[in-house]
Amino acid sequence: MSRLWAAALAALALALGVLPFAANDYLVATGLSLLMWLALTQSWCVLSKMTGYVSLGHVVFYGMGAYLVVVTWQRWPLALAVPAAGIVAALFAALVGLPVLRVRGPYFVILTFGLAELVRYALVAYEAASGTASRILFGAPDLVVIYFAMYALAVGATVLLALVARSRFGHGLRSLRENEEAAETVGVPVVGYKLAAFVLSAAIPGMVGGVMALRSTYFVVDQVFDPMISVTVIAMALLGGGDGPRGPVLGTLFLFTLSQLLWAHAPLAYMLILGTVLVVFVLVAPNGIVGLFETARERRRLGALAREPV
Amino acid sequence: MTLPLLAVRGVGKRFGGLSALADVSLKVAEGETVGIMGANGAGKTTLFGLIAGNLRPTTGSIDYAGRPITGLSPDRVCRLGIGRTFQIVKPFPALTVLENLRTAAMFGHAALRDVRAADRHGLAILDELGLADVADRSAATLTLSGQKRLEVARAVATGARLVLLDEVMAGLTATEVAAMLETLDRLRSSRRLTLLVIEHVMRALMEFCDRIVVLHHGERIAAGTPAEIGRDPRVLEVYFGA
Amino acid sequence: MSVVATLLSGQLLFAALVTGAIYALVALGLNLVYGTLRMLNVAHGDVVMLGAYAAYWTFSGLGVSPLVAAPAIAMLGALAGWLLYRGVIRRLLGSGATASTRLEGNSLLLFFGLSIIVQNAVALAFTPNNRGYSHLDQVHQLAGVAMTGNRIAALAIAGATCVGAALFLSRSLAGLSMRAVIERREAAYIVGIDVDRVQAASFAIGFASAALAGVLLSMLEQFSPFSGFPYTIAAFIVIILGGLGNVAAGLGAALLLGVLETYGVALTSANLRSVLLYGVFVGALLLFPRGLFARRAVRA
Repeated sequence: MSRLWAAALAALALALGVLPFAANDYLVATGLSLLMWLALTQSWCVLSKMTGYVSLGHVVFYGMGAYLVVVTWQRWPLALAVPAAGIVAALFAALVGLPVLRVRGPYFVILTFGLAELVRYALVAYEAASGTASRILFGAPDLVVIYFAMYALAVGATVLLALVARSRFGHGLRSLRENEEAAETVGVPVVGYKLAAFVLSAAIPGMVGGVMALRSTYFVVDQVFDPMISVTVIAMALLGGGDGPRGPVLGTLFLFTLSQLLWAHAPLAYMLILGTVLVVFVLVAPNGIVGLFETARERRRLGALAREPV
Repeated sequence: MTLPLLAVRGVGKRFGGLSALADVSLKVAEGETVGIMGANGAGKTTLFGLIAGNLRPTTGSIDYAGRPITGLSPDRVCRLGIGRTFQIVKPFPALTVLENLRTAAMFGHAALRDVRAADRHGLAILDELGLADVADRSAATLTLSGQKRLEVARAVATGARLVLLDEVMAGLTATEVAAMLETLDRLRSSRRLTLLVIEHVMRALMEFCDRIVVLHHGERIAAGTPAEIGRDPRVLEVYFGA
Repeated sequence: MSVVATLLSGQLLFAALVTGAIYALVALGLNLVYGTLRMLNVAHGDVVMLGAYAAYWTFSGLGVSPLVAAPAIAMLGALAGWLLYRGVIRRLLGSGATASTRLEGNSLLLFFGLSIIVQNAVALAFTPNNRGYSHLDQVHQLAGVAMTGNRIAALAIAGATCVGAALFLSRSLAGLSMRAVIERREAAYIVGIDVDRVQAASFAIGFASAALAGVLLSMLEQFSPFSGFPYTIAAFIVIILGGLGNVAAGLGAALLLGVLETYGVALTSANLRSVLLYGVFVGALLLFPRGLFARRAVRA
């Protein structure tokens, strides 16, 4: 399976890599969107899949990154602003991480949502008070440049999750997901590890937000903190399933392709069908696409065992 | 006189208005097996929680191998060399039995950062505890007896020199108790472990421990060899109303 | 208005009580579902929305007062909840989807999917435009405070229902079994409680109270197929602050939220409503990670 997987992944990376040279602007923009979702979903998994702390506020890092790039527009070079966006998001995570991660389970889910909304409305109120309800941005780089920046971020996020998943750090995270108290008792530094996962998961979305801000000529703060972004990321990760980067790639591809097809052919029923797909998936494939593959493989293995002569 | 491995001095713990432990002291020498005896609510598990770092004492201090460990976090205490089991087992359910031990070997006192070394270490311990054939099964699928053995195996896999065993015999049949005692005996000599054992099963206390400390309502009321404890009038009064 | 005058205003107090009572009613159902099943029903607000639409149609289509239609609509809500439980939720519980490490994510996705379906089906069927109607909006003067009839009715009905639910939980045998399941599910099985029936009942009661809240709200504000979401959020804030599964504390937290929102907006500005709400929520949860009224267990 893993050689097949590696080949498939390489093919995908290649296809996405040559897309800007082979297709029109519309397709490139579509590819950009796919890469954005890949980067966001993989980075979410670094925290939420590995530790079990499900965050419903992932968009907050994206929004902060976008805001930083916009407010430094034309004053800072982009080569500085975009990495700074990632750093600001990571610093924010480092700052609030300790108290936030003391909260567990469903409390954590709603807390992260509340935190993202708090930052959102605080910035909206601030912008309204300072008189800049919206901004017009001129002179953004070419689509192809933006595309390859996002490509790098998507690859980076995938590599990050892969490295974390197979590292000692990742094993520690998995243990604390399974039983936090027991993990601490066998020596896993749970407080520090959770915080590290949180900070790591924040940097890339910050830069993703910064890069995507370059796409909009007309910027409104409210839009870059849209909670639907957080929800979509969760859906893509859970539909994919699994414990490493494989699941999110599958889940993102699946949901993204589905939404593009529906949008093109059945826009009215789009949301209805999407909702139905989510419901059916949770009932039929609770461990995601990866779970389906694993169940099929298990069945084949048991079937082969049953057929062996006794 | 050599330094005791563990020195608990005047330790007390209050939860709001409730005093769970008051002025408890004990010393454990290296290589000893000390039993902690007492009725439910006597404060035994609280004492373990204080030693292992899960709880912070309200009064008193705890030293391990000559250095103070009072108030350190559980993971730091583990890395220094103390392992513990939980009365209600806490396995990593979705991880395999071997992976449960791998975590302990990698992050505990043994600090075996290489996965293969950690697994070799873990498999050896699983062998000693009779769990080698379920190494690849997920921990959630084991029977209670298996999970209790896993709990012990994991604590030992941290490479701890001092292991706190919290009622590992509870719920086992007489045959299983005998087997577990035998296993623990082999384990403590092969790995030179110092043990602190909470038990209700009398046989485990009397046959297995060098010394016993008796707690009652959070206070220490008696200490001595098993024979002495069996004759101690205060203990007899508390346990048998005699 | 000066700060002191604001704080002493009977008008604001009345508004805060009405808001708080409705939040309490909405939160009640959410708390019961979470308490018994440990699932985050993010579609809860959409049941409120459906109740509002039902009241709207009975009023403008059949000329029936929402107060008269309320019991029937609440019953329909109960039926819908019960059917959802039997048809979908039980199936989810039976599959491997609810191993604790997956429950959060899977129940979020499930209810979110249901929410999308309901919101967009209603939008397709009834257009996404705002709806509203006027009923019982004559103003009554009581102790110098001007109150519309519909607000008085909403406060009375919401308040009575919440008190009734609290009494049900604390005084009746059925309520006791529900509290047992909320407190410790495994133990409830052992003492012979029909946990399945309790769970179905919590869904039924939960949906009924949400639908009722929708009926009351339809008298007071305009609504659209997407109006449910803010109430879902408010309900979550309330039950988290009160401590999940703690129905009585939830009622208190709801009143607190109503007071905070009403007085907060009056003292600052409408723009800051959300900042205030989320600010207090995040701050409170960071200080009290298990809710404001969490009981701290004594460990021996």
